[in-house]
Amino acid sequence: MDMVTAAKVFSDIGWGLFHYIIFYPPVYQFIIIPGLVAALVVVVFMIWFERKAAARVQMRYGPLEISPRTGGAPQLIADLIRYTVQELIIPSAADFFAFIVAPNAMLILSLLPMVAVPMTSISEYWPIPMGYSLLIAVALSTLAPIFTVVMAWASNNKFSVLGGVRESFIIVAYELIAVISLLSVVPLLHTFNLVDIVNYQMSGIWLGLLNPIALLDLFIAILMSTSGFPFEIPDSETELVAGPFTEYSGLIYGINMGGGYIRRWAFSVLMTLVFLGGWAPYRPGPGILLGYFVPSLIVVVKATIVMAIMSFLRAVYGRYRLDQALSLAWEVLIPLAFAAFGISVAEAFFGVHP
Amino acid sequence: MSEGSASGVPHLPGMEVRPVERNVYEVQIGPSHPGSGHMRIIVELDGDVMVRVDPDIGFVHRTMEKLAEGRGWIKNIPLFERMAILDACNTTLPYVEAVEKLLDIEPPERAKYLRALLCEINRIASHLYGIGIFAVFLGHSTIYMWAFGDREVFVQLAEDLTGARLTHSYPVFGGVRRDIPDDFPQNARKAVRYMRYRLDEYAKIYLNNPNIRKRLEGVGVISKTKAAELGIVGPNARASGIKYDVRLVEPYEAYPELDFEIPVFEEGDSLARAWQRVEEIKQSLNIIEQAVDWLEKHPREGFMHDKFWKTAPKLYKDVYEGNIPYAGKYRVKLMPLFATLKVPPGKAAARVEAGRGEIFYYVESDGKEVPYRVRVITPSFRNVIAFKYVMPGHRLMDLPAIYGSFDYFPPEWDR
Repeated sequence: MDMVTAAKVFSDIGWGLFHYIIFYPPVYQFIIIPGLVAALVVVVFMIWFERKAAARVQMRYGPLEISPRTGGAPQLIADLIRYTVQELIIPSAADFFAFIVAPNAMLILSLLPMVAVPMTSISEYWPIPMGYSLLIAVALSTLAPIFTVVMAWASNNKFSVLGGVRESFIIVAYELIAVISLLSVVPLLHTFNLVDIVNYQMSGIWLGLLNPIALLDLFIAILMSTSGFPFEIPDSETELVAGPFTEYSGLIYGINMGGGYIRRWAFSVLMTLVFLGGWAPYRPGPGILLGYFVPSLIVVVKATIVMAIMSFLRAVYGRYRLDQALSLAWEVLIPLAFAAFGISVAEAFFGVHP
Repeated sequence: MSEGSASGVPHLPGMEVRPVERNVYEVQIGPSHPGSGHMRIIVELDGDVMVRVDPDIGFVHRTMEKLAEGRGWIKNIPLFERMAILDACNTTLPYVEAVEKLLDIEPPERAKYLRALLCEINRIASHLYGIGIFAVFLGHSTIYMWAFGDREVFVQLAEDLTGARLTHSYPVFGGVRRDIPDDFPQNARKAVRYMRYRLDEYAKIYLNNPNIRKRLEGVGVISKTKAAELGIVGPNARASGIKYDVRLVEPYEAYPELDFEIPVFEEGDSLARAWQRVEEIKQSLNIIEQAVDWLEKHPREGFMHDKFWKTAPKLYKDVYEGNIPYAGKYRVKLMPLFATLKVPPGKAAARVEAGRGEIFYYVESDGKEVPYRVRVITPSFRNVIAFKYVMPGHRLMDLPAIYGSFDYFPPEWDR
């Protein structure tokens, strides 16, 4: 085999790898957009934005020292490098296997809903058949939080266990709200198909306008699920140090910290598609650029704005007490979620649906 | 050691061996914990509810009372400041007053106003510190940054007045260390205006924030009788409806001539304690304005008792009068007499209202260069016992809401 043939074989393999693995839509969506890479970029930007916005409200600079010209934007990169090279301490009393596996499992499972969402209306670029995609995405989004509880239990630390117990209370409370709010669009449009749901919103009437209660409910449920203010309860610093993450250090701690944001990202993408019009008002054109990248960019930008609003709440609120958050969830938000469902049914009955 | 320590284990919190009840979970919050300060709180939890709370003090004990017995009279002022450096003037003032009683001297009128002025500046700085720490306990980072940023205004005022940000050592026997600089009155008035405006904003984002109100209303209630029983002092007692303030019951320094009110709240919960501090800041701002007006109106004559002032060398007096261009005006070094001061034998006690409540000193002299005995009772020491009785029955997340509302300061109660 001479050099030319070898080069051709390798380039064929490379092309195959590129074309059939990386650009295979389920893999692409999981790894690149809106999965891991996009999520990391957005999270790095979002943490910077969160610190910067809070700093503006609080009359200080926020991240600045690394590159003052860009407002300290590379600060998060520096933090990530620090987490990466920091010593990884695993307590001897911890359950080694669960201690190591749980954070990684949580990270991967938080991104899993991204495999079930469409980024365009062109079927060539769909990761999976879209028939029941909303149901699948919602189901996948509920997998990750259980690993926070596993982490807490594996750490074998009292603060971790208390944090884990709080997390499990919160999971039970918010999951029903999030699921019902997301599924409240189904009776209105008679479909679980996310592409159909977005296409309906092309008319300019976003479902968030048709059913604002469901949108609000989902917004609060996302805050609860990702321990955003005012529901930063499982890892409340003043009693529980870092809650379930108390014993974690180094890179795994970084993963844990990013994990909450990545879950928030996954939910924000879902919320954008269902309530905020997805890639509307843009109509995907032919070709990969106009047919995939532009609409996915629109979704990413909308979801980023949703995240930014959530991040800003840090500057306004303290945290609720656990029982107050739970009573808010069970006594107010869940009835509201059912009401939102009822509104959708009523709107379908009275013919708001085209 | 008390009875029942058969194994020789003393019955101290955290050191005793006790069977823990079934279904009770013991958590040690502190001494090295983001939400505890320099102390440990041993909490027993039944589910999410605290059933037993044991504040375990002593982590930052520095044997100050014993150290004081080996230092000259004047050198104890910088020592006692270290109890609460953010409230330095209030903390050392009763020591100075007690020694003045032993020396049988009375500071001049101007010194009294200067002391009251710095006391109120310290009180505001101390309250702002307390508000900030309390807010960050509740997760409200904005008011934490605001309070600490605005505290800087008053720290700066104190620096203008005394030359030091925190450890001023300002009141000394027979007077104070220096007079106000020329531009002080206008800066002080500006700071007062600014702070009044800021307090309204604090109320908007923090005290009237529904989220914060929900956390604080009805949490950690101390009734009037309970507060009296436990011997709570300072703003915490006043928030429970006890109108007790040393400035009121036993006026000292310039307070008899100053016009101010003692705010009192009846509720006795964490929210009342938070509001109490805001109202006290407003009163302190009034006092600062009055003191500055008085100081501006009256001639600069004598901020130090003659007994000490007459021992000052000519250089000191030249600096004070501004005859030496490179040295600032109205400032002097410590009088030479302080270095070898011997206090006549006797016993004296004094108390003032510090930021966190009444602080009491008992000073005993046997006529030497060092005190024979100095006893200090600090407000935080008297307030700490409340945790043991107020916290049980509340949820674990109420611990910071109660703990922060008391404006704790471990270095002060550990001395």
